Amino acid sequence: MTRVTRRGESSSSLDELIEALRCLPGVGPKSAQRMAYHLLQRDRRGAERLAHGLETALQRLRHCTRCNNFSEADVCDRCTSQRRDPTLLCIVEMPVDAISMEQTHAFNGLYYVLMGRLSPLDGIGPKELAFERLFARAADGVVKEVILATNFTNEGEATAHYLSELLHARGLKVSRIARGLPVGGELEFTDAATVAQAFLDRRDFT
Amino acid sequence: MSGKQRIDAEPAYVLHLHPYSETSLVVDVFSRCHGRVPLLARGARRPRSAMRGTLMAFQPLELGWFGSGEVKTLAKAEWMGGVPLLTGRCLLLGYYLNELLMKMLPREDAHPALYDAYGEALMALAQGSADAPELRRFEKTLLKELGYGLTLDVDADSGAPIATEAQYCYLVERGPVAKVDAGDTPMLSGKTLLDMAADDYTDPRTRQQSKQLMRQLIAHHMGGKPLHSRRVFVELQEL
Repeated sequence: MTRVTRRGESSSSLDELIEALRCLPGVGPKSAQRMAYHLLQRDRRGAERLAHGLETALQRLRHCTRCNNFSEADVCDRCTSQRRDPTLLCIVEMPVDAISMEQTHAFNGLYYVLMGRLSPLDGIGPKELAFERLFARAADGVVKEVILATNFTNEGEATAHYLSELLHARGLKVSRIARGLPVGGELEFTDAATVAQAFLDRRDFT
Repeated sequence: MSGKQRIDAEPAYVLHLHPYSETSLVVDVFSRCHGRVPLLARGARRPRSAMRGTLMAFQPLELGWFGSGEVKTLAKAEWMGGVPLLTGRCLLLGYYLNELLMKMLPREDAHPALYDAYGEALMALAQGSADAPELRRFEKTLLKELGYGLTLDVDADSGAPIATEAQYCYLVERGPVAKVDAGDTPMLSGKTLLDMAADDYTDPRTRQQSKQLMRQLIAHHMGGKPLHSRRVFVELQEL
């Protein structure tokens, strides 16, 4: 897009860069302009690295055929690792959710990343999320338990509900991560909705 | 209703949330006395935000906000509770109600009666009532509140009362007329119309015909805008 600047001359490649930077989340016209000038004036090497990084990532990264996460190979390192338990499959919404799960060191199975959640109001349904691919992955004969670790938002719950029904129908054991008070949480400082749900989801305690 | 506003403790439901900038949300809210309002919830996506767990769709809330622009700033959100969280299929039906409100209701147009009907429908869905009657009742109230109320008791041509045994055609923006050859307009029995007027959906044929009629009327009043929630619902049933 060529925009005419105040003095009347056009500087299309600068404008194009500013326009391109606006695709980043939370970046408006002002920040985009600041970033563009910074890269061009003060950090041309950084700009080169950025351009190169983007280009190689776009060229090399694709979705792992097993877990759907980003990977450079057809099957990612985690999915080929011998040290992980292939009978457990944990379903998460986004790559960052898999990272959070990894940080717990509590799970040693494999993942499947949906790259989204059911969101009817945004028009995101089973087709957009490629449920069929997940079913094919879960029904590989090795997976024994599927753990649903989608978020505890309405969208995450809707996703978990339908996945649970559909995976059950395919003869798999399905579980859902628990919800309730955070570790170290105090009732006094916890929002009513969380406490209400923790109360409803209470379990036998011995 | 522009100009500076300061609203306190207004009963409201969240219809939809959109992420905004790094840590905030824009919340599409349906409030009892101010209708549908977009509110900016500053910092609501921060890990320790007190609003994070409260701003849930399908839950009765009390909200406070201020501002003069189109998007107001959310100041306070209180959880009123009392409605179980919707789960599974009901959740999808809830999204359908929200989508109808978001696509058909103009902003800042107060409809207390519709608000109450919405609350009742959610409560009934959460408690596991049969969903068809709840949806039809809500759709009926929605159309009535928007000024497209249904004629269900008299023939729109002759003014004669609807006869149980007769067959009718429902002409959009006019009402039922005694059976004429109207091409693809679906036929309705007189009983369906009278049952709908009385909110009685026990007859399977009434359920089926009223659903068809509502679908036709809503599609007309939405002016061809697609309903995503219905498509997703159908796709999920087909799996």
